[in-house]
Amino acid sequence: MTTAPTPTPLKFTGAKYLIQRLVLATLTGRPIRISQIRSSSHTAPGLAPHEVSFLRLLDAITNGSHIEFSYTGTTVLYKPGLITGSAAGHGAAGGVIRHELPADCARGVSYFLLPLCLLAPFSKAQVNVLFTGPGVITSSTEAGDVSADTVRTAVLPVFRSFGIERNVEVRILRRSNCGREGKGGGGEVQVVLGHQVRLPKTLHLMSAGRVKRVRGVAYSTGVAGANNARLIEAARGVLNEFCPDTYVFSDVSPAPLVPAPERNNPSAKKKTGLGFGLSLVAEGNTGVLYSADIASPPQGGEPPEDLGKKCAYQLLEAVGQGGCVSSVAAPSVFTLMAMGSEDVGRIAVGKDVVGSEQVLQLARDLRAFGMSGWGLREGDEEDEVVVSIVGKGVGNVGRKIA
Amino acid sequence: MAVTIGKRKRRNDVDIREESASEDSDDLRTRFQRAFEAKFKPLKISPPPSKPGEVEEEDVAEQGEESDWSGFSEDAEDNVVVVDHARANSGNDEVRQHEVKAFMSSRPPSLSEKRAKVTSKQPKGDAEEDGNETANLKNDLALQRLLKESHLLDPSSFNSSNAAPEGKSRLKALDLRLQDLGAKKGTLEQERMPLSHRKGIKTKAATREATRRKDAAENGIILERVKATKAPERRREKGVDVPSVGKFKGGTLKLSSRDVKSIEGPRKSIGGKGRRS
Repeated sequence: MTTAPTPTPLKFTGAKYLIQRLVLATLTGRPIRISQIRSSSHTAPGLAPHEVSFLRLLDAITNGSHIEFSYTGTTVLYKPGLITGSAAGHGAAGGVIRHELPADCARGVSYFLLPLCLLAPFSKAQVNVLFTGPGVITSSTEAGDVSADTVRTAVLPVFRSFGIERNVEVRILRRSNCGREGKGGGGEVQVVLGHQVRLPKTLHLMSAGRVKRVRGVAYSTGVAGANNARLIEAARGVLNEFCPDTYVFSDVSPAPLVPAPERNNPSAKKKTGLGFGLSLVAEGNTGVLYSADIASPPQGGEPPEDLGKKCAYQLLEAVGQGGCVSSVAAPSVFTLMAMGSEDVGRIAVGKDVVGSEQVLQLARDLRAFGMSGWGLREGDEEDEVVVSIVGKGVGNVGRKIA
Repeated sequence: MAVTIGKRKRRNDVDIREESASEDSDDLRTRFQRAFEAKFKPLKISPPPSKPGEVEEEDVAEQGEESDWSGFSEDAEDNVVVVDHARANSGNDEVRQHEVKAFMSSRPPSLSEKRAKVTSKQPKGDAEEDGNETANLKNDLALQRLLKESHLLDPSSFNSSNAAPEGKSRLKALDLRLQDLGAKKGTLEQERMPLSHRKGIKTKAATREATRRKDAAENGIILERVKATKAPERRREKGVDVPSVGKFKGGTLKLSSRDVKSIEGPRKSIGGKGRRS
């Protein structure tokens, strides 16, 4: 049997939306070439540490993928393989892939979790990854990553409507905020995504309903638990007025220790990732989720009262945008809809969510990868748009071939 | 007061010196009482009548202490409002615990999932009707089983008083029930045995089936159709470098017309398209 000639790689430029493109390439099986990655930067041209780390992760959960860097790291050629997940024999020890993040990683762990959640449903075996090392930040970061809690409480429940619900876990083994200068943490997160589907179900979400309750997690690592109480107090002060069923859980944990070897003390360790933060989730009566996230900045100087209030306002803003999916989960939802069976899925989304830069770019990228275009029409509510997406039935590429 | 239960009052040195002689026994008693109370419940003892002299001293001391509190007013005592915070919370505690478990676990919380309510048992309305219902169900089950397993019952040893199968037939009935519930293999089926035994069993079964069919045909009874069992297709053994179609002989690959057809497929060739030079 002769192998089909490999299609010419799709060409993209720029470091922005790198992850999104890599994920789409893996899902559709199209090779891509991304050039001019921070080529204009004199200090740090090429791929950033977290991007390299994500490519390593891709390499770990796929079989037969091919990654090529240029010398400066400003160009990447990626030929995707099959998504095998944590199958034995491909770098998974005991069914778990250990993925170490470098100490200079400035992005939160959700930067890796969200794309992983998108790839996992199409994997051959279950995906079981342990994120560890001196770069794991479980809190939200200033770069715009949500906290690992939000991924668990606000994004993963949305996957349920695609029929992905069994054996899904995000276990935060150790919490950590950003370390000094916003780089590195010391947390530990294990992700189990054990529900593989042939094709995600077609989604029809038309009514957003009304928010009926607010839940949340306040966390403080290595600092006094009173910060949690202050965060909660401030957030409730804002939210109670709108939704009396507000409850925020509190989690206090010691600061993680990461190895910091010195010359005369090679086994020295140091504390890192001190701070506190808040993750809020509002749930509507139709199961719609809105979320907000905030964490203390690495340089400090923000009292928990301010942060709690800010987080509550953020949540109100997310609720105000309306729609059946918040901006945090929107890219994942749209991607899964495009990967679904060849049927029209519809979802009512807030205009601000659809009009965001990331979602627009996602639509364009999906187009570039040969997916069908989106249909838009006015929704029932004033600032809502109904997006209809025809799935391409791409589904489980790995299973189809293997 | 010399003997006070609870906090020890601060006293002047002078007082102690004056009282020390008379208080020796009192002091001892207080100590005993303290030790006792540390282990058990506090005692209900009315303080022993104090001496008039002491009272005066105490009064003097109290007057010395300045306090702004002027005591309860008359009206306040009339309408006392009792605030009990403990009661308002007690019912919610269990709910909260459940929610913490649901929300803070490692799984994505299913917020909309309703908590399994502890439903109070419904009041028993008609005990008689319930009894009837259960009896009916029981009889129903027994009848179903009898119908299903009646072929196991040995007519010679059948006693109508106890219709439940016994002995070997009980085991067979159990096996049947298990298979009904979805068991893949019968429990009675022996897995390992000598080949000759297995062959014997198979031939016996085959002959039994054949005689049954023959008898039925002779008596004009129509039986179910024979299920055609396909023999598993044997793959032709071939060498490694031998082509999968045709015969390779003398440096040429010879294709029979059948081979050619199988390659071309069922499609009919139109014009010169199907012809190969």
